[in-house]
Amino acid sequence: MSEHAREYFRFNISHRIEHILLLLTFTVLTVTGIPQKYADAAWASGAIGLMGGIELTRQIHHVAAILLMLTTIYHGGAVTYRIFVKRVRLTMMPGLQDVKDGLQAMGYNMGLVKSPPRMGRYNFGEKVEYWAVIWGTAIMVITGFMLWNPIATTKFLPGQAIPAAKAAHGAEAVLAALSIITWHAYHVHLKWFNKSMFTGSLTHEQMEEEHALELEEIEAGVEEPPISPAVMRRRLMVFYPVAIVISVTLLAAVYWFVTLEETAITTIPRQDTPVFVPVTPTPEGG
Amino acid sequence: MDTCRCAGISRGAPIYRGIGKLLLIVAAVLVWSCLAAAPAQAQATVPPDTACKLCHVDNEGEITLPSGETIQLGIDLAPLSESVHGAHAAESVYCMDCHASRDRYRYPHQPNPAVDRAEFEADIAQNCESCHTTIEAHNPGHLMAKDNPNLPGCTDCHGGHDVAPVASMAADPVGTCQGCHQTYADPVVQETHEQIVANFSAEQTCQTCHSDVALTEDALCKTCHNLLDGEAVLPSGETLPLHVDPQMIIDSVHGDREIQGVPYSPLQCTDCHREIQEQGFPHDPVTAASLREWKLEKADLCGACHTDIAEKQPHDVHFTKIAEGNLDAATCTDCHGYHAVQPPNEPRQRISETCGACHSAINEQYAHSVHGAALLGEDNPDVPVCIDCHGVHDIEDPLTTQFRLNSPKLCAECHADEELMAHYGISTDVFDTYVADFHGTTVMLFEQQSPDQPVNTAVCYDCHGVHNILPATEENSQIMKENLLATCQQCHPDATANFSDAWTSHYRPSMEHNPLVYLVDLFYMIVIPVTLGGFALFIGTDVYRQVRERRGRKERGRE
Repeated sequence: MSEHAREYFRFNISHRIEHILLLLTFTVLTVTGIPQKYADAAWASGAIGLMGGIELTRQIHHVAAILLMLTTIYHGGAVTYRIFVKRVRLTMMPGLQDVKDGLQAMGYNMGLVKSPPRMGRYNFGEKVEYWAVIWGTAIMVITGFMLWNPIATTKFLPGQAIPAAKAAHGAEAVLAALSIITWHAYHVHLKWFNKSMFTGSLTHEQMEEEHALELEEIEAGVEEPPISPAVMRRRLMVFYPVAIVISVTLLAAVYWFVTLEETAITTIPRQDTPVFVPVTPTPEGG
Repeated sequence: MDTCRCAGISRGAPIYRGIGKLLLIVAAVLVWSCLAAAPAQAQATVPPDTACKLCHVDNEGEITLPSGETIQLGIDLAPLSESVHGAHAAESVYCMDCHASRDRYRYPHQPNPAVDRAEFEADIAQNCESCHTTIEAHNPGHLMAKDNPNLPGCTDCHGGHDVAPVASMAADPVGTCQGCHQTYADPVVQETHEQIVANFSAEQTCQTCHSDVALTEDALCKTCHNLLDGEAVLPSGETLPLHVDPQMIIDSVHGDREIQGVPYSPLQCTDCHREIQEQGFPHDPVTAASLREWKLEKADLCGACHTDIAEKQPHDVHFTKIAEGNLDAATCTDCHGYHAVQPPNEPRQRISETCGACHSAINEQYAHSVHGAALLGEDNPDVPVCIDCHGVHDIEDPLTTQFRLNSPKLCAECHADEELMAHYGISTDVFDTYVADFHGTTVMLFEQQSPDQPVNTAVCYDCHGVHNILPATEENSQIMKENLLATCQQCHPDATANFSDAWTSHYRPSMEHNPLVYLVDLFYMIVIPVTLGGFALFIGTDVYRQVRERRGRKERGRE
């Protein structure tokens, strides 16, 4: 049983920082965003009031959006490093096997299939969640850009793209929030509390159920071959300049995103019809 | 009546006839004695005052009164005979009927106690009442104020021995009065009477005001001011016309009226002009420096009766402006008039005319708007007039943030009313679709949470216009397709051609209107339930497995 008390290292500091940044920005965006979608409901306007009014709520939403974009850039850099420098296996790539695993897991749950699927480092449930975040973030960043810069957008797209973007931004937010509340909450909080995203490691029991294949490999001592320092140095020589150029470009893009246009003037001009224009100097008679 | 220039009563010059003077005196004494002894026997044949007349007809004597005035003793019998008391009188009037005091007029006459001529005449005039028993209330100010020593007696107006028929006085009634009343010490009273007399109609005389039956205070005001045509000059140099047509007031809502079946007595002039009640006539000079100040002063009194309106006033933009010193702002009478107050909303067009008297530029815009044209052209009862949006006596400043933020709800009062809009085929979705949009969401949240904070998102009138609202089909409409971009550019100066389509034109998304939005909505309407349904299904089976496994473990444990 001592074997079963062992903790299996799963997420390094970078992974955990990315998750915390995503957790924070996603939560703030949801809390400030969902009430805006349902602003005519009493609970929503109450929530907006609690957050200091619609202007402040929008500003918080915008700041969180900038942080999410920065988080996304950081994630992109980290993934690039893992793929091109560390040359890790593309364990997050979805494949036909994931569909089979999903169906098998469901069959097993219902007692139709004898054994559960044996899954690798990222199982189908985690892949669904990861790619949903990627898809969702892409949708939110694109539609968010359109809403933030409607004048720039309509120089290239039809005007209707703006209300369409608004509809997509809101609906996608609902989809994302509900997915987190159901899929994510069930798998890592309700079913059992999977602390690996904070502690970095997972118990044997959880490994066995969710990552049996990976566990088998670890137990069998299959490890990534170590990279020689010379090779590492050569790879980094390429990675750093490229990463810096892309990062700076993307940061510039975020800056451009935020400051591209002055959508509306801040003070509405007053109607300028003269108010007091008497027909006669003093109304006479009677 | 300050002074009384009591004209002396003309008397016939004494006729002097020397012949038989002594004889006449003797005869007169005899006759007088006989009459005094047995008047009844002599009446049929000889008039009882034969002796008086015989004696006084050629008398040259005179009595000097203590005042120094003299009384001629000789009488011209001709005017007496021709007077209404003379030969043609229905009933004979004899000397003693007027000179009735037996003590004084029995021969030899006792010295007359009168100190002056006025007292002498008043003493005789008292006897008029012995025949003219109904004169007690005759001409207020004359006989009714007997204590005033300066007052005329009957004879001052009607004459003494030559008492004239009333008809002759009626021929020149004003002249008769003016025999005494020509000048007044107070220049205001003087000018007032001159104006009034000059404007008398054929039927009007001094008695129109100074009649036997005292006029009410209100009737005096109305009679007098109806005849005045002058004007009071105010310190500003402006003039205040004094003429008031009483018919205007009678025909006004304050005249003879019935409110909900209950008859109300007309307002009295002094109900509004209260200070006059204390001042009486002549009135004190107007203290207001200008016509405007005078009007504002007067309008303060309306609230004394119209208390419900007076309570609202402090919140009214006009009254706030007046309080701030802008005297151009309207007061009660500017809208309602003063003497000729009529129902302010009959017909409904009257309302926009009233407001337009001061706000003519805005009224001009309104008249050409879809609302104004329908009101003025078609007498449409549904379109808003000024007060429907601005209120009446608690008119809010429409340039405040609160007004702006509340304005969409104001428009929605009619435009979200299905029954009302059904007549015109106008969509009632306009408010909901506005609120669903970025502009409307923002405005509604501001309205609920920070109504004082200015907001730059558009309200209905920023796009549709304020007083110049036109339907989107109209060529000059701000919201017409061709003009919409320019309208957007008021707030979005950098907007280009496609930008205005970002506004959904109050349409709910459908394949016909805003199909892209409709398709996005449709996509998520399918994707969200399918995704979550899938998640729920998997989670359900997972829970089912765990429950089954736990039960299995328990059973194994028991074995």
